Amino acid sequence: MNVDGVVGFLFIALSVASLYLLVAVGLSIVFGSLKYVNMAHGVLYLSGAYIGLLIASSEQYGGLLSDFGQVGLDWGFVPALVLTPVVIFVVGVAMERWIAKPFYERELLDQLLVTFGILIAAQELVAILFGRTGTIYPRPEWLTGAISLPVIGTPPGMSAASTIRVLVVALTLLLVAGIFAFFKYTDYGLAVRAGTEDSEMTQMLGIRIGRPFLLIFAVGAAYAGLAGVLGGSLFNVTSEIGMEIIIPSLVIVIMGGVGSLRGTVVGALLAGLTFAVATELEPSMTQASIYLLAIVVLTIRPSGIFPSAEIGQ
Amino acid sequence: MSTDNIHKTVAEASSLISWDTWDRIKHTESFVLLSSVLFVLLFSYAFGRAPVVSDVFQGYHGLAITILIWSIFALGFNLLLGQTGLLSFGHAMFFGTASYAAALFAIHVYNDPLAVIVVGTLAAVALGAVAALILLRLHTVYFSIVALAIGQFLYFLAREPLVEITKGINGLEVPRSDVLGVFELEHQYGGLLGELVVNNLYLFVGVFFVAVVASITRIRKSPYGLIFKAIRENETRTAFVGLDVWRYKFAAFLLSAAIVGLAGGLMAVNTQFAGVERLYWSVSGDVVVMTVLGGLGTLAGPVIGTFVFFYFKGIVNGFPTLGNYWLLLLSLSFTTVVWVYRDGIWGMITALTGALRDPRELVAAITARVTGGDSTGDAPGGED
Repeated sequence: MNVDGVVGFLFIALSVASLYLLVAVGLSIVFGSLKYVNMAHGVLYLSGAYIGLLIASSEQYGGLLSDFGQVGLDWGFVPALVLTPVVIFVVGVAMERWIAKPFYERELLDQLLVTFGILIAAQELVAILFGRTGTIYPRPEWLTGAISLPVIGTPPGMSAASTIRVLVVALTLLLVAGIFAFFKYTDYGLAVRAGTEDSEMTQMLGIRIGRPFLLIFAVGAAYAGLAGVLGGSLFNVTSEIGMEIIIPSLVIVIMGGVGSLRGTVVGALLAGLTFAVATELEPSMTQASIYLLAIVVLTIRPSGIFPSAEIGQ
Repeated sequence: MSTDNIHKTVAEASSLISWDTWDRIKHTESFVLLSSVLFVLLFSYAFGRAPVVSDVFQGYHGLAITILIWSIFALGFNLLLGQTGLLSFGHAMFFGTASYAAALFAIHVYNDPLAVIVVGTLAAVALGAVAALILLRLHTVYFSIVALAIGQFLYFLAREPLVEITKGINGLEVPRSDVLGVFELEHQYGGLLGELVVNNLYLFVGVFFVAVVASITRIRKSPYGLIFKAIRENETRTAFVGLDVWRYKFAAFLLSAAIVGLAGGLMAVNTQFAGVERLYWSVSGDVVVMTVLGGLGTLAGPVIGTFVFFYFKGIVNGFPTLGNYWLLLLSLSFTTVVWVYRDGIWGMITALTGALRDPRELVAAITARVTGGDSTGDAPGGED
């Protein structure tokens, strides 16, 4: 492989890792701090993909989407990228209040079952509304090409990594750095960390932990929504994508160590790399390889790569 | 003589027809066995051919067989979740693997339905032993998700890399053959037997169904089964009593795998086919929905849940307008059951019959529920 090949390969790995990471970050924080396991997080990815498609859509589809006229997909993708997370943020707030909150004190298994039920119901609703066959996000003009990365010294005009993948990786880097900064430098982040450590004592000190928890839940939701838009433009959009993304994401969270952000990042990177390596060497093993990786990691370390880290680390 | 006295004398004189006697009988093994035999004999008839009743159900014989097999699957799954509290989201791995093993054995080695099903069961047990080594070190959600991961791993493995063996998405065809070379599975009976069971295939599946119900009842009634329950209630305490928790979990896991494997083998024989979709996560999801909807930790619950699921999938699905929403309705009911009524449909039925017996009990139960009383769905029941 020449330099170009290596860069292209790296960006395939990183973009897959980024998508998983955007979904897994919210899962990991909520699981780590609130001890709430949320399969309905997949609903956020799913709705993100469809809302983004609605906003950016200019093509003619069957179902509801055909009513959406010319929005102009060319730069319609940008409003989709900006607006979808905002919409999903609100959905996340509603989800925390009405779905997650009643279950904070209940068993993990109840949480798992109820959110699984919600995910299946949402998936069915989408299938009924938009039809059971998938749609393809038409990728906007300015994202179809490849980008040359002068940093690595590829001569101009040479393709190194597709533009969309570079965009996905760059956005994810920014957003995940933001989450780390939130925990490290803000009072709200501190409140979440304290509340995770000992919620009773934190409340006795007069710190209201409800709102920081709500905020972090909704931010995680918005990330998943954004991942939906990005993932939709990389892969097909069907009603099942919520479930298809939530399984590897949950596996990544558990593989990294629950509540450890570092672990989630490492887990996602490992999964992305495995994905890319398998695609390169033995394409038929691509899907199976991620699960194999998780099984191997958890056999060696049953509590994950970074067990029992403080939240936000 | 006032009516009160009459009541009293009647109650004392004939304890034979009192509720207490009924409760005693209801919990005996022979009663459960008898009711499961009756259920198998009458189910297909009531579902597909009986006057009036079948018009309501609009069922058919083939679906009755499918429901029986999936009931075995749900019972096996419930043995793990209902008894030991381990929620596996990957039980499709046993169903699918057993199906494949059965089909491969039938094609390449020897095709007798009995042998084929035994091989399927053994394959599931072998897989269970390997999976248990990874899974039993994990708890609650970790267990569920990693079970799901193993299931998905096998699904993708069967789908592409092992395409030589599994024929990928086309699946394997299993030719029909006679049981022990004597009983033709397709053989149609005449007369009363024909009216009730139609053909040997239904009988064949029914015998396994009764056997599974009998063995699960035996396990539940035994001290061994009691230990499973103790593990569900409090694992640490069970370990402190001096019991080897891992060993019992392992046993429960293997038993569950075996029963699910049996269902997988039966499915291969029934449909004459083994395909990759039986390993998919949605199969595990379906069985979770069936079991929880019907009533966790009970005998009748998984069977009722399976019936309701397939009634929706097979019959409601065909209704005009409503048909499109069958899975939405089902998943919403499932969510509601988990949210507010953990005892499921069977729990509702027992609560209702209890209410008919003594309305005050119902009021007390509702009050307890509203004030946040905790109840575990553990009403042992027969299939009546």
